[in-house]
Amino acid sequence: MDWGRLTFFLREVLRSFTRNPLMQITAIGTVMMTILILGGFVFGRQTFVMVGNDIIQKIEISVFLNDNLSPAAVSRLHKQIAADPRVRAVAYISKAAGLKHMRDRLRGQIDTSLLTANPLPDALRVKVVDPDKVTEIAATIQKMPGVATTVYAEDAVAKLLRVADIFGRAGFFVIGMLLFIAAIIIGNTIRLTVFARRREIRIMRLVGASSSYIRAPFICEGFLHGVIGAGLAIGLLAIAQFHFLPKLQAALPFVPMRIDAHEDIIYALTLLAVGATVGTASSWLSVGRYLRT
Amino acid sequence: MISLRGVSLVYPNGTHALDNITVDIAKSSFVFLVGRSGAGKSSLLRLLYHEEAPTRGEVLVENVRVDKLKRSRVPYLRRELGVIFQDYKLLADKTVWENVAFAMQVTGAHTRDVNRQVPRMLDLVGLSHKHRMFPSELSGGEQQRTAIARALVNNPKVLLCDEPTGNLDPANTGEIMELLLRINLKGTTVLVATHNASIVDRLRRRVIRMENGKIVSDEDRGYYFLGDGTHGLGQTHLLP
Repeated sequence: MDWGRLTFFLREVLRSFTRNPLMQITAIGTVMMTILILGGFVFGRQTFVMVGNDIIQKIEISVFLNDNLSPAAVSRLHKQIAADPRVRAVAYISKAAGLKHMRDRLRGQIDTSLLTANPLPDALRVKVVDPDKVTEIAATIQKMPGVATTVYAEDAVAKLLRVADIFGRAGFFVIGMLLFIAAIIIGNTIRLTVFARRREIRIMRLVGASSSYIRAPFICEGFLHGVIGAGLAIGLLAIAQFHFLPKLQAALPFVPMRIDAHEDIIYALTLLAVGATVGTASSWLSVGRYLRT
Repeated sequence: MISLRGVSLVYPNGTHALDNITVDIAKSSFVFLVGRSGAGKSSLLRLLYHEEAPTRGEVLVENVRVDKLKRSRVPYLRRELGVIFQDYKLLADKTVWENVAFAMQVTGAHTRDVNRQVPRMLDLVGLSHKHRMFPSELSGGEQQRTAIARALVNNPKVLLCDEPTGNLDPANTGEIMELLLRINLKGTTVLVATHNASIVDRLRRRVIRMENGKIVSDEDRGYYFLGDGTHGLGQTHLLP
């Protein structure tokens, strides 16, 4: 191992990196802001997906049965619905249990003691495996003998699924745009560095330095922009998570926000990799264009 | 051995820099390229180190077809050549030692070889005692000697000099030419493009005279001016 060669190379990278501090700060700051927004966005999207999933998982079909259906018929219907592979669980709610549940729910809002008879039919509560299939499962059940009607939050399900879909697509678009902007800024910074060092590069070319040798310090510089910028952003995100997330969670107890430590590390490494990739790729392209001229 | 066969060079703006040049330069020879500014001397040198590609014709340097060279092979050609310029092209933020070593380091040379070769070159050009100095602390002649040391540090077979004494006073000019002769005596082919009549006339080496992109004369032990006091084609007269 030729340590002298490595030292020379690292010294060249460091010299180039410290030559224009303002330019480096701009590039690093841009990556940091991009990764920060990206990280915040990913967290927001994850929270939204968790909230959505939470709501979607609670979506169920209420199957109201015809009056005077015999217990055997109810049991047959129960088994028939439960046998459907798209169904996760079926629960029988008798007229009496339904009334009790209603009274409990409306306690303090409506005086249910005025009810002289139980107006509710027997019902089955059906939970589905895939919330996307809730409409077709409800239609299937509706056709079964003994079923009076099926009720589920049709509009809410459709809207939630649509919003989740839009949010997902828009998210990728926004992330893509942010990364593109960061890549352009890093690329421009590297081009300015290349321009500032054009005399040196010309001499390197004259004495026979290969393109890859000339390119290497700039690639390292782009890599450093990406890694340092992403590292700073991850640090800020970690501070935000440890200091502000518990307060946010306390303020919004019903919104699921928990990300476990294992996920945190993967999440941080991914952001670091994104920063490094953007920095390296943009500087590679930028120097490549210069060296081809 | 350097060989050009029917070489023309036309720049994108339509300027004909070289027009059907054919010339051979033997190994270990010392050759002057003379002619007025714009005659095509620097263009000819640029073809040799592949800074330009000919529009037409063949360029051979040490049996390598330079005109057909792939971009990726150009660095390897340049390691076989040393080039020096009128403006020295030294790196202002590196010392003499670092400037010379730089030419080896960027070609991936081992540090052991760099540490052995650089002092030899500095000794050859007489700058061992100034190896820690920066270019701004040196005279023009010393800067050019540093550039020569850098050009020679990779042991090139050919040294191309584009107006090497253009910025120097007569004393420094003499020293640089003496150095180039010593380098030539060690077997390196030296090709010098110059406007300096006195050094050409003093050394009496092969003189290739150019005018308007053409070779107008080629003499084995020539003078800067032709016998009629012109560069050739009867256009330039000897100054009093």
